Amino acid sequence: MSSPVLAKRRLTTLPLLRRESIGGLYHVLTFEDSEGTLALPGQFVMVRGAEWGDAPLLPRPMSYLTGGNTPSILIKVIGEGTLRMGRAEPGEPFTLLGPLGLPWRSPSAGRRVVLVGGGVGIAPLLFMARSIAEAGGPKPLAIYGGRSSRDLPLDDDLEDLSELVVTTEDGTRGTKGRVTDVLAELLGPDKDVFTCGPDRMMAKVAEMCAARDVPCEASLETPMACGYGVCLGCPVPTTEGGYLYACMQGPCVDARRVDWSKADHAPRKLALSGRST
Amino acid sequence: MSSLAIPIGNLTLRNPVLTASGCFGYGLEYDDFFDVSELGGICTKGLSLHPRHGNPPERIAETPAGMLNAIGLANVGVEAFCRDKLPTLRERGVTVVANIFASSVEDFVTITERLSAETGVAAIELNVSCPNVTHGGIEFGKDPRMAAEVTRAVRDATRLPVWVKMSPEAGDIAAVARACADAGADALTAINTIRGMSIDVEQRKVRLANRTGGFSGPALRPVALRIVWDLCGAVSIPVIAIGGVATTRDAIEFMLAGASAVQVGTANFVDPSASKRVLDGLRAYCSERGIDAKALIGAAR
Repeated sequence: MSSPVLAKRRLTTLPLLRRESIGGLYHVLTFEDSEGTLALPGQFVMVRGAEWGDAPLLPRPMSYLTGGNTPSILIKVIGEGTLRMGRAEPGEPFTLLGPLGLPWRSPSAGRRVVLVGGGVGIAPLLFMARSIAEAGGPKPLAIYGGRSSRDLPLDDDLEDLSELVVTTEDGTRGTKGRVTDVLAELLGPDKDVFTCGPDRMMAKVAEMCAARDVPCEASLETPMACGYGVCLGCPVPTTEGGYLYACMQGPCVDARRVDWSKADHAPRKLALSGRST
Repeated sequence: MSSLAIPIGNLTLRNPVLTASGCFGYGLEYDDFFDVSELGGICTKGLSLHPRHGNPPERIAETPAGMLNAIGLANVGVEAFCRDKLPTLRERGVTVVANIFASSVEDFVTITERLSAETGVAAIELNVSCPNVTHGGIEFGKDPRMAAEVTRAVRDATRLPVWVKMSPEAGDIAAVARACADAGADALTAINTIRGMSIDVEQRKVRLANRTGGFSGPALRPVALRIVWDLCGAVSIPVIAIGGVATTRDAIEFMLAGASAVQVGTANFVDPSASKRVLDGLRAYCSERGIDAKALIGAAR
């Protein structure tokens, strides 16, 4: 498998084209990029309001939901940065640094792709599903879970692009339980798993795949300051000892490389600011 | 045309805008953004004798107009730097200031000797002020005698200019500064970060695994400016300012206080071309007024 050619990283100031509130704390922000964003599924972008001044100071890492002339991101309002993003109006300028990081690897030949997502973790998986569809590939299986029916942003979009099974912990939609309950029944030796969601979920998915010798690629989420390899704020413990950096050696990695027992299972705030909602 | 050149001891920087250690990698991460050789210089990530993995996560937390970091001096080690990074930097004509860190005077000397055997290192910056490691680091920089001892040992081990990075946490920073100057330092850089903390009130948990972290960013600027002002009055060697420089105005402010040059730190995280913006703005400022950058140094004193 050859490594993908990654586009040159650019720092651009782009106007917000539209913000769609999609219920609860979730919004899709779409920007206008006349030059075009050459992002691959799984890559991410550092996003910051161009008029934020000195606070919140740092840009926020967000997976691309789409690229091209209308790059977009899916956000959940959890802190000061995302709160501002969730209130932004069309025309407001944002700085976007991207595309960053390693994209999803190509699916292995002869295996059925299974997308396993939780909450906002759906963004890079949806981008992947869309690109599989555009390439005329076979529909992937998808297992998408949340705490309740309110925590399944963009489930309609995923439904169109996959054979979808939805789970909720409270049973308000789909199968009551967790994505891993469904995965346990579907996971066979012919599968190829791609996962993004809370650490705890990905750890379990990785463990199940490793036990069945099924390849599993995970998209990591950590706080980070720069997104391009210099702040060293995004270490993820590895099985071989030491750390990999989610920004440059990720965010998409072979799940077997991650020492999930040492992963921080606390919710990782994309927004680092103290004043959360 | 205005000259931006600045003498720092025997070394002449092409301009007074550098990047701060720990905020600019090894200077090779910027190919997509701008030509790093245009800068006055880059200070490398702190180099130790052996590679270091650094601290466990979380290593960073944002604070109002600033951030905390406790990276723990993760770095490739001096050998890998000389082998894998320096040749490219040299080839590109980048002014490289090697920031070094050790937990003993002997190791400071060994690293210095290793770097002095290479061409392409313009100066050595001694990190005697890292707040995030258990041994060495800040304890060298808080005490005038220990700071002088490290400075003297490194001074005797190399012909390269020696800069010493000051800790803002020394009880008497001016005394540490004078001790370093007397021990042969060519310049002082000030300030390193100040230790801070942050607690997540929802998790009821300290946010950094290291508990404390170095506080940096625009919020630090007034404190850094006051210390730089004091140091410029206390020593006759050049002082290079660090502390929340994000714009040309900030750089000029430090120079007017007496700094000979500035280092751009945290601002690189927000904008990888921040140092280039500061430099372009400074060039415009000087040429509009028909002055050399040197004329700004201490002009507000």
